[in-house]
Amino acid sequence: MDPIGSAAPARTIALRVNGVELTTPIEDRELLVDVVRKRLRQTGTHVGCYNGDCGVCTISLNGKIIKSCLILAASADGGDITTIEGFSGGEELDDIQQAFWDEDGFQCGFCLPGMLFAARDLLERNPEPSEADIRQAISGNICRCTGYVNIVRSVHTAAQRRTS
Amino acid sequence: MTAMVPASAGSSRREPALGAVEQTRRKHGDQLLVGRGGYLDDHEPPGTLHAAILRSPHPHARIRSVDASAARRCRSVRAVVTGAEALSLAEPLPHFFDPSLVGGRTTTVRVLAVDKVRYVGDPVAAVVADSLADAEAALDAIDVDYEILPAVVDAEDALAEGAPTVFDEWGDNVLIRFPFAEGDPARALAMAPHVIADEIRIQRYQTAPMEPRGYLAHWEPTGKLTLYASTQIPHPLRTNLSTIFGLSEDRIRVVATRLGGAFGHKFNGYPEEPLVCLLSRMTGAPVKWVETRADSLLVGAREYIHRFSVGFDDDGRILAITDRIIGNIGCLATWGGWSMTYPAGMTLPGPYLVSDYDIESIAVVTNKAPWNGARGYGKESATVAIERMVDLVAAELGMDPVEVRRRNLIPPERFPHWTVAKHLDSGDYRGALDKVVELAGYHRQRELQRDAREQGRTRGVGVAFELTPEGGDFAGSYVRGFDTSTVRVSPSGAVTVLTGVTSLGTGSDTGIAALVARELGLTVDAVSILQGDTDSCPYGFGNFSARSLATGGGAAVLAAREVRERMALAAGVLLDTPPEGLVFAGGHVHTADGGRSIAFGAVAEQVYRRAYAVPGLDQPLLEATKVDRPRNLTHQPDEHGRMSAYPTFPYSTHVAVVDVDAETGQVRLLDYTCVEDCGVQINPRFVASQIYGAIAMGVGGALFEELPYDSAGQPLARTFTQYLVPRANDLPAIRLDHQCTPSPYTLLGTKGAGQSGVGGAAASLASAVNDALAPLGVRITTMPLSPPTVLRAIRSGGKP
Ligand code: FES
Ligand code: FES
Repeated sequence: MDPIGSAAPARTIALRVNGVELTTPIEDRELLVDVVRKRLRQTGTHVGCYNGDCGVCTISLNGKIIKSCLILAASADGGDITTIEGFSGGEELDDIQQAFWDEDGFQCGFCLPGMLFAARDLLERNPEPSEADIRQAISGNICRCTGYVNIVRSVHTAAQRRTS
Repeated sequence: MTAMVPASAGSSRREPALGAVEQTRRKHGDQLLVGRGGYLDDHEPPGTLHAAILRSPHPHARIRSVDASAARRCRSVRAVVTGAEALSLAEPLPHFFDPSLVGGRTTTVRVLAVDKVRYVGDPVAAVVADSLADAEAALDAIDVDYEILPAVVDAEDALAEGAPTVFDEWGDNVLIRFPFAEGDPARALAMAPHVIADEIRIQRYQTAPMEPRGYLAHWEPTGKLTLYASTQIPHPLRTNLSTIFGLSEDRIRVVATRLGGAFGHKFNGYPEEPLVCLLSRMTGAPVKWVETRADSLLVGAREYIHRFSVGFDDDGRILAITDRIIGNIGCLATWGGWSMTYPAGMTLPGPYLVSDYDIESIAVVTNKAPWNGARGYGKESATVAIERMVDLVAAELGMDPVEVRRRNLIPPERFPHWTVAKHLDSGDYRGALDKVVELAGYHRQRELQRDAREQGRTRGVGVAFELTPEGGDFAGSYVRGFDTSTVRVSPSGAVTVLTGVTSLGTGSDTGIAALVARELGLTVDAVSILQGDTDSCPYGFGNFSARSLATGGGAAVLAAREVRERMALAAGVLLDTPPEGLVFAGGHVHTADGGRSIAFGAVAEQVYRRAYAVPGLDQPLLEATKVDRPRNLTHQPDEHGRMSAYPTFPYSTHVAVVDVDAETGQVRLLDYTCVEDCGVQINPRFVASQIYGAIAMGVGGALFEELPYDSAGQPLARTFTQYLVPRANDLPAIRLDHQCTPSPYTLLGTKGAGQSGVGGAAASLASAVNDALAPLGVRITTMPLSPPTVLRAIRSGGKP
């Protein structure tokens, strides 16, 4: 007896992930977040809703931060991806990550992908953000642990350290 | 910064430790910051199969038949199981806390529903396939024939005569009634110069941790079962699996993976825990299931009606209260939620001295999805209710709400203080109230409010006092008030703590390591901590009720002291000096005069290398396991019928300032201040982080978090687009200060931090919004204070 349901259309895409060029087979229906997590095993990118609401799936694609649950992997073909694993670009934590650790800017850590990328994006645009600027910049990301107090503080500290 | 700790003889006694606890950043923070958390779904051994679960689309129906034959032929499907098939494969699920233990009704719950479904989301069948997409696709091929039954959704409807029954054998829908009464409240109310009767309704909402639940089981052909679980409570979960499968507990290993938030949502007792194990046994491969957000949002955690009366005199002194609390707990399940109706009543009359009261908390079942635990655990509901009563008293007398609270708070000299179900440990309640008034600039806020009102704005200032019973201990269940820790020193001097308590990102792991480091004169970095793995950690009860430091932390300190004593004996031999005066500090053991020392690691190495060979080196066991628990628990009613299942009582005071947009009904939180007292703080920074998070949850619950159902029993909030949680731009910075009245009943003087804040935030927001609306002659008795509710109230112009 034939199984019900046929194989999904598939293809191979090329990506640069945290500086490494690679190709990976994907199914056309696969979301980018699933390819990053399951096929590329970059599990620092998380899933909290598959709906664009929470931001824990945030990565950088071609220099822009995106919620990777909102796009198909096929549409990222040829793209340059940075995930939280490659956030600092090296072995050491970068200044934003350091500030988050110093200021206790996380508890369970699940929301960090969105928070870190949003913080970097903000500081690149606005090196001296106000508290309201920071709150606005991270508002696409949900954190259930911190009440955002120490996340805001972390971003503020990172900004201050850069400008001083 | 490491404390000098004298190693006095006999130091494993319950004595306070000396010196400061090293304050560090969160352990493993560097790993989390680069995405190496190791949460449940990050684990995926080669060959892992994926499970999908068919859930009831009906709130109440009889299952006539399930035909899964087509699903078995779907692409890559490895196994399908229905409720009827699972009957012979798994015994009934043990309850997290069986209501029959405390005189309630109960029911038998199976891994999958067999003849009846009782809520939308009730699991009916499961499929395992190579990929999740294939497993989900195969669910469509399962044909279930349901006979739809009348459903009951609203708790008051469920209590009405002739209501459909969720469990036919009960005859009605009452799970249990918890009475808490003292004095003669009927008489006191009759005599009171003033009496107000009113109500407040608290909506169904939950904690919504960012990481949903998940489980990964591997039942190996050898008969060894391993379950990776996003759970707060791994050991009792293992015990339950043993019961369900008749598999000896020593063959089962449960590993609690790092949690992306839990807050009670990840208490054990869910059917998916044994289900993935069963599916792994059927397929011979690792099987994983991860909760979708839509499924996650089915879990309830709160929904109460408080109908109360409060009697008081002209001075605002509360003479008596009654409160009839109805908790809509949804369907009874084996999850750990229904029992939150106990603290919802037990916590009353909160921090106030009220000698006559009559509280009844009724847990009612309906065809909504069951509750699981939630930070606050029902105490937040009690706080909202009692604080509402106090505000009503103040409004009636035209008194300042702070002053009414001051007059009624239990004074410091009354501690320890008995109510019928609490033995309150210690506190300076008025001090905490005065402090928050000062810190918030309360009187200035009142002036600003007058100005704002003159400019036509709708400004409110709210106050709340939250009492948060912690460390709950329920003998007869596996929800216990003690825990166990081991401290182990390796030959290199490396120290490992193994403990039965778990951390959820709260920081208690770092705190416990720091406590052990202090006892041994080491840095926190020199101490590692292992939690959540039932193969290596002592049996423990995991994380709930803000218990980690008062139980596992205390046990780790006692164990470290015992190890230190043995190391002191060895160091005495090696330094040729009496052990009594030795000092453990800076990674060394020093003679009393500081003249000579030996490295901590060198002592350990010499013990392992030369024990029994060198005279005096005859205590080679550099490992100790200890149990600790807070005192102050009364399990059996005393001669006055009083008992106390909670040993510690942290508390907090809150001031919130809001603007209400009278056009849109939008509430804007402008300013927030909190003072908390959790006794001794081991790491004040982590305490602050806990309070901030709890306050944010309380604000979310007060303003917009809601899990509504339609009248037919369908849940309406299945994504974060409907279930709105606070975002950074919804909240102001939080001003926080502390007060410390140590618990006389815990080893370290801690009272527990982690839940305080939820109730205070919800209550102070309710207080502030009602204060804002008072000039309009309007008051709101229904939470959340969402724009539609606020607008409706404003438009009603005060008429109900
Ligand atoms: S998982 Fe992508 S936004 Fe939530
Ligand atoms: S730290 Fe847990 S969700 Fe943000």
